[in-house]
Amino acid sequence: MRSKVAGLILAGAIALCGEETKLDPRTSIQINFPPDSPVLQLSTNVDESRATPRGGAVVVDLHMSLSLRNAGSRNIRGVTLLVTAQEVTPGGKASVAVPSLDVAPGQSFPVRIDLRLLRPLQAGGGPLVRVSLDGVLFDGFDFYGPNRLNSRRAMTVWEMEAQRDRQHFKSVLAAAGPEGLRREMLDSLARQADRPRIDVRVSRGGRAVSSVGSPEHMARFAFLKLPDSPVEAVDGWAGVAANEARTPTIQVVNRSSKPVDYVEIGWLVKDPQGHEFLAGSVPAAEGDLFLPPGRTGRVLQDTALRFSRNAGEPVSIASMTGFVSQVEFADGKVWVPNRLALQLSGLLRVVAPSPEEQRLAEIYRTKGLNAVVEELRKP
Amino acid sequence: MTTHPSGAVLALFAGGELGSVLRWRVERHVAACSECRREVSEFSELRAAVPVIMEPPEISWTKLAAEMKANIRLGLEAGECVNGGRSVRHGVFSVRALAVCGSLALLLVAFLLERPTPRVEPVEVSEPAFLESSVSGIQVKSGDQSIILLNTRARDARDVNYLASGNAMRARYVDTETGYVTINNVYAQ
Repeated sequence: MRSKVAGLILAGAIALCGEETKLDPRTSIQINFPPDSPVLQLSTNVDESRATPRGGAVVVDLHMSLSLRNAGSRNIRGVTLLVTAQEVTPGGKASVAVPSLDVAPGQSFPVRIDLRLLRPLQAGGGPLVRVSLDGVLFDGFDFYGPNRLNSRRAMTVWEMEAQRDRQHFKSVLAAAGPEGLRREMLDSLARQADRPRIDVRVSRGGRAVSSVGSPEHMARFAFLKLPDSPVEAVDGWAGVAANEARTPTIQVVNRSSKPVDYVEIGWLVKDPQGHEFLAGSVPAAEGDLFLPPGRTGRVLQDTALRFSRNAGEPVSIASMTGFVSQVEFADGKVWVPNRLALQLSGLLRVVAPSPEEQRLAEIYRTKGLNAVVEELRKP
Repeated sequence: MTTHPSGAVLALFAGGELGSVLRWRVERHVAACSECRREVSEFSELRAAVPVIMEPPEISWTKLAAEMKANIRLGLEAGECVNGGRSVRHGVFSVRALAVCGSLALLLVAFLLERPTPRVEPVEVSEPAFLESSVSGIQVKSGDQSIILLNTRARDARDVNYLASGNAMRARYVDTETGYVTINNVYAQ
């Protein structure tokens, strides 16, 4: 109740002042960590945060720096925070995750949240933003947290990719020495710079994004087969009209000996000029898929995607390709493509590097080769 | 009527407010007396103008009732002071009770007259929520409201990797200050 009143007072102050108002962290932000959380909040800084009236609305620029401490007994590999602003987008939510960590017990680490809210001036009271813990991943893939955003799976995938890529760069260092690692780092930076990019707008359900005035047709997916994939995509299609694609539907078969309960399909799109780019991914709906060994299932997303580049120039869809990008088994274990398969299939130049490769490449760029070598020597 | 009627009688005549006998007599006199006829004419013109001049200003009944109630309370309290706390005679009490009842009735009337009409907010047909990536970040937008997770701590916009996945959108970059990879997600429900 007090926070509601404070929120109303804040809205009133913004309206009366008609100019930038500094945010009061006590009333505008609510941070809730569970009492038994292995991560403790040491401090919160929102000094650069402002609220500015714009017509009948208010723009809130929130720049939050949290200092957290590992209060557990194992090293932390990743953290995901849930960020909600229910009054802005009913049901809408966001999260900020920091993977590729190696935080020992007792050590502290920062997490930054930078967001902008556009909301009516007359909105109800209460905190503008609520921040809570969704999950913490430890060494050995142990997990803590409510997992409302399925952050367990996401952080497990990032950690498996991190282990894969660290192993790759360690192998390069062992086989070709520091100069070989330098070439790999330069190659990684070049791939990241050259990777074709595209702007995507997503909306739920049918053709809700816009009316493109072009007849829709069903386009079929081609599939890249990765040799060790436990799940194979066998057929798929999506409704395509000019630069819009909707309701991708993909049939998959479990080729492994273990039951599978989640599959994600990478989605590549080629434009009429032959440029290929990663359009997105098609995840199985939560709880919708259970594939015993040998069984066929369907991955379907009721979304519509519109592609553009250069600030709005439509990108027409000439063809589509899919590949299995991650699989979660019923026992919680996760599969991701291996490095060699990515390289041989040509996916390495199209998909984004893993968070760990991105981090190592940035260390190379800012601190040099020795810093990368030192980083790879860590366990 | 041999003598001229008084000004008051002429004014009443001009307003049609005389009794029938006196009106007949004044009528006969005015018909023969140009001076009195002119005076009646002036009264008639003045009377026609008076309603416009005397039209009461717009009254805030709520304010008036509040003032009256306050004055009555003040008067009662002043009376108490003058009486020095002596018991109030029944007659006086009745007058005060009447005054209070009158003011309450006035308040009731004022409330009924000024009762605010409930406002019916227009029903907004909002655009369904959608996700979008831009140079500054990723956003979920619903109607005129939005939440954007900003990439302000990325070195360059080209260093941000975006991925649309189902009902979510992701932006990944290395925070230039901390050196940590940051992965922002927005979800449309």
